[in-house]
Amino acid sequence: MPRALKKGIPHVTLWIYVIVVLYPFVFVLFSSLKESNQAIVADPWGFPQHFRWSNYVDTWIKGKISIFFFNSLYLAFFAAVTGVIIAAMMAFAITRMRYKSISGFLYQFILIGMLIPGNVLFIAQYIMLSKIGILNTHWALYLPYTAGAVPISVLLIAAFMKSIPSELEEAAVVDGLSAQGMFVKIILPITIPALVTVFIVNFLGNWNEYLLANFFLSKENLRTLPTGMVGFRDKFQTNYAEVCAGIVYSVLPVMIIYGFLQEKIIEGLTAGSVKG
Amino acid sequence: MNKAMRNPLVYILFVLPAIILYFMFFIYPFVTSGYYSFFDWDGLQAPKYIGFQNFIRLFHDEDFRLATINNLYFILFSVFIQVPLIVFFSLLISSVKKFQSFYKTTVFMPSVISTSVIGILWGFIYHPDMGLLNNFLGLFGIGKIYWLSDLKTALLSVLITNAWQWMGFYIVLILAAILAIPKELSEAAAIDGANGFQKATKITVPLIMPVISVVIMLSIAGAMRVVDIILVMTNGGPAGATDVMASYMVTKAINFGMYGYGNAIAIVIFVFAMVLTALYQILIARKIERNEF
Repeated sequence: MPRALKKGIPHVTLWIYVIVVLYPFVFVLFSSLKESNQAIVADPWGFPQHFRWSNYVDTWIKGKISIFFFNSLYLAFFAAVTGVIIAAMMAFAITRMRYKSISGFLYQFILIGMLIPGNVLFIAQYIMLSKIGILNTHWALYLPYTAGAVPISVLLIAAFMKSIPSELEEAAVVDGLSAQGMFVKIILPITIPALVTVFIVNFLGNWNEYLLANFFLSKENLRTLPTGMVGFRDKFQTNYAEVCAGIVYSVLPVMIIYGFLQEKIIEGLTAGSVKG
Repeated sequence: MNKAMRNPLVYILFVLPAIILYFMFFIYPFVTSGYYSFFDWDGLQAPKYIGFQNFIRLFHDEDFRLATINNLYFILFSVFIQVPLIVFFSLLISSVKKFQSFYKTTVFMPSVISTSVIGILWGFIYHPDMGLLNNFLGLFGIGKIYWLSDLKTALLSVLITNAWQWMGFYIVLILAAILAIPKELSEAAAIDGANGFQKATKITVPLIMPVISVVIMLSIAGAMRVVDIILVMTNGGPAGATDVMASYMVTKAINFGMYGYGNAIAIVIFVFAMVLTALYQILIARKIERNEF
């Protein structure tokens, strides 16, 4: 018995932690299907008595969650794709092409970016974007998102590319490949695991970004999900069930991606942070 | 060989997009931020050079002092409360065989969700009337608490939400380090008669000290960056009780159009972060690395 107890204590402690992590999600999920605020207040812990799916329909349409959702999706996707491509190009040039000293300098130069805390640049970026005249367009998020990922993406992809043996290149050069051919046909395919990891990390970062999205766009229809949700909460504060349905919409896609790719996501985020 | 990989045109084309974006969104804003911090500027009229006046004013600004202290609270809370808990839970997860990957996957979950959505979600938990927390405390006869609008509880409420979001992230980081320790070490200790607690404190923790050091470093950096959770949950209120430097900067610059002042705050945040990092490296990180041997 003492042995079983000794084995049990860690699990009990960990389950308490797991419940603290999971319960808020369960609460939101249950509340999103309840009929009214009264139903939530009366039994905040309980399972909904009648499933009110219309909350989801109302939120999607009335709350414009559909618009925010697709804005987020396409901005996060294209910024992440562009970021990966330009970072891979730069990483290829500085790790595989034969310009050692300038490459070393460019690499160090890019790494400086990781020393600057992101929100320090916020005001100056705001002023710059407003001068260029793209504040309040999706460019105002697409460009900073793409640029913001450059230092860490170059760092991670370059680390991966460095480890590719040069024999591969030599064989390809004998076959008459140019540098750009080498990049597209040899190096990129080998680098795919690193590119996918960097893509996922960038995509999640863009999908979740709040500060820039909130201040660089003021038109309702341009908003992304994180800011759209805050606006929705402030506007429809009286209907908690619908706000909860909105939360489910913004959490669900990330949870699905996380469910499938958790190993890669954890690996990517932790690799990025340890080196950053 | 060298010929194909030595093509200046291709080289330039390949590095240029990244360098241009990097220059536009890192270097240029950083330089202009430093430049405008010496100006009185509302974003509309011509900037007026005022030397160090923004900075002098900043040092006498009571609200900014409060925001700085709140940042320090974030740092202290992360380092002295979160980090020990993170190490504790990492050790616990590493010690079990059953459900290990389930725990690892679950605790990490909040770290992939948008901070703004987490802010909204925890707004419900702290809601005075329908919130989970007051409902739970009600079971023990504890009366209504206005978590986010009471001066005494607002900051703590935000600190807890922030911890809820990020602890799992660091747990996974430390867990990876623990699991990388060769099994022989702990087996040898077991033969010498060490119990679980002794193994943890005498072997595991000293061995993962470098990673704990990284986690402390990242927590400090994270505490300096905290801003969206504040803007979403309390917007700095009540009466600046939850304002941090970055949220104060955003409010001053964007809501009040004080761009010169806002940029001065940005520079102070940068210097603050640099000083903290340097101090940490000199005072703590070195010591930890010495302990390693």
